[in-house]
Amino acid sequence: MSRTNFIALLIFGVILGYFLSFGAESTRKFQAGIYQLIAPFLSSGSGLQKQITSVRTGLKTLEQLERESAQLRVENRELRATNQALRDVEREVNSLRHQLNYRERSVFKLVPAVVVTRDSSTWWHTVTVNRGREDGIEGDMAVVTDEGLVGKTTTVASSISVVLLVSDENCKVAATVEGTREQGIVSGERVTSGLTPSLYLNFLSKQADLKPGQKVYTSGVGGVFPSGLPVGVVKSFRVRELDGQAQLTPAVDLSHLEDVFIVTGRK
Amino acid sequence: MIFFLLLLVLVTIAQIGEFFIPPLAWLYNTHIYLVPLIVFYAAVALPVPLMLAVALYAGILLDALTVQVIGNKVEISLGWSILLYAVLAGLMHGLRPLFVRGRWEIHAVLSGICTSVILLAQYLMITFRRGSIIFSPEVWWQIGGPGLIAMLMAPVVFWLLHWIAYVTGFGYLSERSRFE
Repeated sequence: MSRTNFIALLIFGVILGYFLSFGAESTRKFQAGIYQLIAPFLSSGSGLQKQITSVRTGLKTLEQLERESAQLRVENRELRATNQALRDVEREVNSLRHQLNYRERSVFKLVPAVVVTRDSSTWWHTVTVNRGREDGIEGDMAVVTDEGLVGKTTTVASSISVVLLVSDENCKVAATVEGTREQGIVSGERVTSGLTPSLYLNFLSKQADLKPGQKVYTSGVGGVFPSGLPVGVVKSFRVRELDGQAQLTPAVDLSHLEDVFIVTGRK
Repeated sequence: MIFFLLLLVLVTIAQIGEFFIPPLAWLYNTHIYLVPLIVFYAAVALPVPLMLAVALYAGILLDALTVQVIGNKVEISLGWSILLYAVLAGLMHGLRPLFVRGRWEIHAVLSGICTSVILLAQYLMITFRRGSIIFSPEVWWQIGGPGLIAMLMAPVVFWLLHWIAYVTGFGYLSERSRFE
């Protein structure tokens, strides 16, 4: 071995040793730094991809756009009215709870975010979103859509964050089943064969006997995910040696995520 | 040196590009990986110190952008991909004389195999962490699929990189006469 190669190997070994010694916190900081560096490229790449997709899906006529706009205006008015009505109900409920000395129930503070990229690796199910520390985002914050739970934030850079999807085996969510007292832990699959992943609700009692179609919600245990968020719908139930396990269809279509909300706290 | 720097830029572009390449749903959600091909080309084109530098850079990028930190646990420590890239690139480098003589097909096949080896190593590491060994047909496809695709893409990628090496006047092309 030549002297140059030996020195190169030595330097390589030292740098490798330095990186291998990183703990969880330093790894997260390092990842956040790299993500921040490439954030502009990811954002512009995402914009370009959306433009290409929109061209591919076809341009709309003025008439179609007008019809769509009118439809959206009507929907917007309806939603505003419903929202107002719900706020009145919320105030009333809170006032009654206050009189009964119950803790007030509050709605979540949500930060809207756009999905910039999808998972680029085989073994982890993640997406990156265009919000970060500058927007008040921290690690372990729940991410939702109007349909239900999406996942939680992991690595957070200044203007970009990584979201671990509920379909990842590492994303564990405490959940309850609608209409029962059953509680369990939802987690994803290690390997997904298709674009639509399945979720598994584990540690149920053997007598749970869940039926297809029953809805599963977050229970709020653990503190990361607020209670009452739809997680999925029961597809099947089976009894294992020690517990019961239900297979779920996710409440959110995780393969076509575009706009999400990050739960930053309560109002 | 220009060629080496260009390879680093290409590694960065390919790593970012991988975010935008959707997995192939018809092939068990197989992902397409471009970076290993560039690293393995660098392994046969560059001398050992520069090869290690490319492996280091590509490994850092791969780990920084894919490895998950859940709570206080890192599934695969930062640095493992560097080691994997370096070891596999070292093996490829050993067959460099063949490549310089123009026998690129062995390296094209090896690039595919090495891509799958990286995925297999990652899978074994996460399996070790998470427990319960699962080796379903889907797992094998997700390990072997990217390798097969890398094998198919290798001739084109190698040809492009070869052309860049030629344009930038990179020296290894002139080594052929030495081996012949």
